[in-house]
Amino acid sequence: MSAHAPAGLARTEMVCPKTIAEACAVLAQAHRDKRAASLLAGGTDVIVDRHLMPIEKARPLDLVVDLTGVDELTAISERDVAGERHLVFGGGVTYWQLRTDRRVLAAIPMLDAMAKDVGAVQIQTRGTLAGNIATASPAADGVPALMALDGVVKLVSEGGARTVPLDQFFLAYRKTVLAAGELIAEIDVRVPLPGARVTWRKVGTRLAQAISKVALAGVIEEERGTITRARFGVASVAAVTHPLGGVRALAEGKTFKALDRATVDAAIDLEIKPIDDVRSTGAYRLHVAKALVWRALAP
Amino acid sequence: MTSRVDRTVGKNVSRVDGHAKVTGQAVYVDDLTTPGALFGGTVRSAVARGTLRGIRKDPSFDWTGITVVTAADIPGDNVVALIEDDQPLLAKDAIRHVYEPVALVACDDPVRLQQAIAAITLDVEPLPPVLSIEDAEAKKQIIYGKDNVQKRYVIEHELGGKTIDELILACDVVVTGRYAVHHQEQMYIEPQGMVAHWQEAGEGAEAGVGDGVHVTGSLQCPFYVHKAMKRAFALEGDRVHIGQAVTGGGFGGKEEYPSILAAHAALLSKVAGKPVRMIYGRKEDIEATTKRHPARIEITTGCTKAGELVALKVECAMDGGAYVTLTPVVLSRGILHAAGAYKWKHARIHGWAVATNTPPNGAFRGFGAPQTIWAIERHMDRIAEKLGKDPLTLRQQNLLAIGAVTVTGQTLTQSVGVVECIEKAVKSSDYFAKRAAYAKPSPAAGSRTRTRRGIGAAVFMHGAGFTGSGERRLKGKVQVDLEPGGRLRVRSASTDIGQGTETIFRQIAADAAELPFDTIEIETPNTSNVPDSGPTVASRTVMVVGSIVGKGAKMIADRVRASGTGDFATLADALLAREKKVSTLVEYEPPVAVQWNDDTYRGDAYPCYAWACDIAEVEVDLDTFETKVIGFWAAQDIGKAIHPIMCAGQVEGGTLQAIGWALYENLVMKDGHILNARMTNYVIPTSKDAPPFTTFLVEHPFSGGPSGAKGVGELPMDGGAPAIAAAVEQAIGALCNDLPLLPEDLFRAKSKSQVARS
Ligand SMILES: Cc1cc2nc3c(=O)[nH]c(=O)nc-3n(C[C@H](O)[C@H](O)[C@H](O)COP(=O)(O)OP(=O)(O)OC[C@H]3O[C@@H](n4cnc5c(N)ncnc54)[C@H](O)[C@@H]3O)c2cc1C
Repeated sequence: MSAHAPAGLARTEMVCPKTIAEACAVLAQAHRDKRAASLLAGGTDVIVDRHLMPIEKARPLDLVVDLTGVDELTAISERDVAGERHLVFGGGVTYWQLRTDRRVLAAIPMLDAMAKDVGAVQIQTRGTLAGNIATASPAADGVPALMALDGVVKLVSEGGARTVPLDQFFLAYRKTVLAAGELIAEIDVRVPLPGARVTWRKVGTRLAQAISKVALAGVIEEERGTITRARFGVASVAAVTHPLGGVRALAEGKTFKALDRATVDAAIDLEIKPIDDVRSTGAYRLHVAKALVWRALAP
Repeated sequence: MTSRVDRTVGKNVSRVDGHAKVTGQAVYVDDLTTPGALFGGTVRSAVARGTLRGIRKDPSFDWTGITVVTAADIPGDNVVALIEDDQPLLAKDAIRHVYEPVALVACDDPVRLQQAIAAITLDVEPLPPVLSIEDAEAKKQIIYGKDNVQKRYVIEHELGGKTIDELILACDVVVTGRYAVHHQEQMYIEPQGMVAHWQEAGEGAEAGVGDGVHVTGSLQCPFYVHKAMKRAFALEGDRVHIGQAVTGGGFGGKEEYPSILAAHAALLSKVAGKPVRMIYGRKEDIEATTKRHPARIEITTGCTKAGELVALKVECAMDGGAYVTLTPVVLSRGILHAAGAYKWKHARIHGWAVATNTPPNGAFRGFGAPQTIWAIERHMDRIAEKLGKDPLTLRQQNLLAIGAVTVTGQTLTQSVGVVECIEKAVKSSDYFAKRAAYAKPSPAAGSRTRTRRGIGAAVFMHGAGFTGSGERRLKGKVQVDLEPGGRLRVRSASTDIGQGTETIFRQIAADAAELPFDTIEIETPNTSNVPDSGPTVASRTVMVVGSIVGKGAKMIADRVRASGTGDFATLADALLAREKKVSTLVEYEPPVAVQWNDDTYRGDAYPCYAWACDIAEVEVDLDTFETKVIGFWAAQDIGKAIHPIMCAGQVEGGTLQAIGWALYENLVMKDGHILNARMTNYVIPTSKDAPPFTTFLVEHPFSGGPSGAKGVGELPMDGGAPAIAAAVEQAIGALCNDLPLLPEDLFRAKSKSQVARS
């Protein structure tokens, strides 16, 4: 017996929809009936959270909507947006899919590198992108990678659909714009241009089964020495995954040579104030974030 | 006579427990099915220090079917019987650490159990806690004895009427250093657990078992639990039955604490009238059970300009935590290893342990030696630096050897393989060439990734078996029975906790009896059917208990063979038919030459020592300060490798545990609370973090061990941390005198100091 028994599941109903529409209908009905409902994908966040919840806080759960049978959610497809190549991941796409899909490996090897750094193989085969995004942990690995790729999530509900860029999806620590009745159907990412500098670097507590102290994803594109695009996602340095918009603004339109470390560091100082916790110190995180950004941008 | 059987000692026979473990059939304590058993849980203080004024049960909670017990329900003495009687099984008035157990609860439903625990409130009047060695030494709060000191030892060697300070000051070169080490959690795979069944008189007979209390669980030392249970329940020994379930690791962590958990489960079972299972989750296990003692060690030495070591002064303070537990013995082993593997003309080693309001610290692989070896090995590097000598060369110049005298006055007479260990590790790692190459700070290549390498060495020894007169007092015993078909059953209290005791005892018994390996049975330890062989600790299982396993097996086999002519099984059956029971009880007799004086702390501290040289090569990222161990060479003289693969496993596993202690692990405490009691955030290395190991098993036999074997259990834990630190120091040029060496620590050290290096 563990210290925190998963409480209150005795009365929980579990439904297994086959389509997104069906899942949305079930969610909407639960919402109207004021039943406490939870989506379940790989379960690697939601089950662990519930297991660790102190018994006093564990609220009964009326309904679990298991998304693992919704095939639409596991698709990976391509699309062209204004002449640029995009990949579209269903919300249920796993890290293991990222590691094994030929298109992903060829177009965005950075996602493969990121997926390799998630937990270990067992977690990679169960954990999903939508689960990573919806949990909204500032230490998530998938989120910064998708953010640097200009990720946009498509939220679907019984009433319709809307799209939200990832850098506007997170409101505060573990708070998102996801409304009751909505689910993450897709994540659209832009494929970096050939020759782009694409970075993934996770500084974790160890090489596997690690939560990041800092993780940085970056996409830098240039045209004849001038930076045309500098997009980032950085984990574990703020209450939410941070896009480092200030660094983007500083870098885009400049040549690599025109950037110097002190100016970039100053831009980072204005954006993030990492904190001390059991995993690391604020000072170390800030230092590492700066070093990694500079590694990505240095001439 | 019988036909020759193949000897198995020195061969990699397959592990007898391997198949069951790999296929999931091994029955661990949590797998035991006990019909009608209740779940037991613990109410803990949540305050580091205070006075317990009352225990309140929420009147609005439904208490039907729930058993609650407190100190008042303990029939015998409310103490965890071990060395001192200072630790209660359940706190009665004084609260001495945050996880102090105060009440126990049992219920047939695990969820209601948790709710019931939450419905109990403790009224505790808080007192200012003592949370560190420095707090305890300041003596603003007295929490133990007169001065917070739990134990003190002094070793003095050849002072000749002078003080050690005078002797040091008379030397050419004086070096002073201060070193610190931190907690470490054992993190065995299986958290602690016990199932207890209290049988009232008569009930046991019905169930076909003895009357009294039956406890089965995850443990290292059944007779420690037995002793504690007798005291707690005021029972005769024959009414206490302690058995071992398949145990998922111990590393010392299941040496002391199982006594508490067994008594808790038994107390609940007695009051509830039903069997009770108490299985800790990871969090509770990390919080409540013992850890490695943190220590602060100051060393001052004097040596000649040529690098000959002359005089050593060590002042070692350990943090014992809230209760004494095994601290005196840990401290003793610590100071007995504080001089390292070197010759000193004069020495004074002074060690003391203080009480703090943190969970009690206790046994952990190495047992005090990794702490002091960290300090002396770092200090050797400091001396080398001052002399401008290669640190390994300085060590080689001063090594103990056969004929040399240790700081307790022990003359080494055999089994000192340290020179061979160093040769093997140096050659295979190319230490000297790399050390020279890395000393020239070549600008790290490439602007993107900046890394730098370093290489470092540690040389060390570890005493095998109990300290001093320990084995003489202990009188460990083993019984060997003859069974039908010419099989032998070995009964010993030495537990297999994953390290392979069952397999190795079979090898030793089979070879000694000249019988096939699979004719030997090893009885699963239960205090009711094995003699007390002493605890499964101190690298003594093979060397001490193994030696009498072999002796007993040979005695029985000899009797069978002397009883007539014919094949062994037929002779055995005939002998059994005549005598009904053919059995022998063998007691360990320490070599007579081994003499120790507990009052003066002089003499033969250990019957022999295992020796080793570890070399670590690291690559440090100069931006993130992550250290990657890119090579590790361990050459260890263990006398004889009874089972080479398992020995190499001990060396690699122990070294990885040392790497964890140095580079990853960090127990975060605030006001006496542990903030990272989970495997996610108490970080031990994974297989991905493990370096490529090159292991050499060096065999300089010890005449008192089976086939020459000494201990291999603890030695590998001793040298990893200082070897890594030496390598990291060379790579980044920041002083590494304190553990841990997390990236954050290296970053802080680097940004703060940029210490001037000579
Ligand atoms: C041992 C271990 C190691 C881990 N290591 C890492 C790591 O290295 N890096 C990392 O980033 N994470 C790690 N995680 C966390 C976790 O695996 C990831 O966040 C994973 O992506 C979660 O996905 P899931 O499918 O398992 O989510 P679930 O647990 O099924 O769900 C998580 C949340 O998302 C919601 N959700 C699921 N699907 C949808 C959807 N389509 N639309 C809206 N909401 C949805 C659920 O309701 C729930 O609130 C680890 C977890 C464990 C247990």
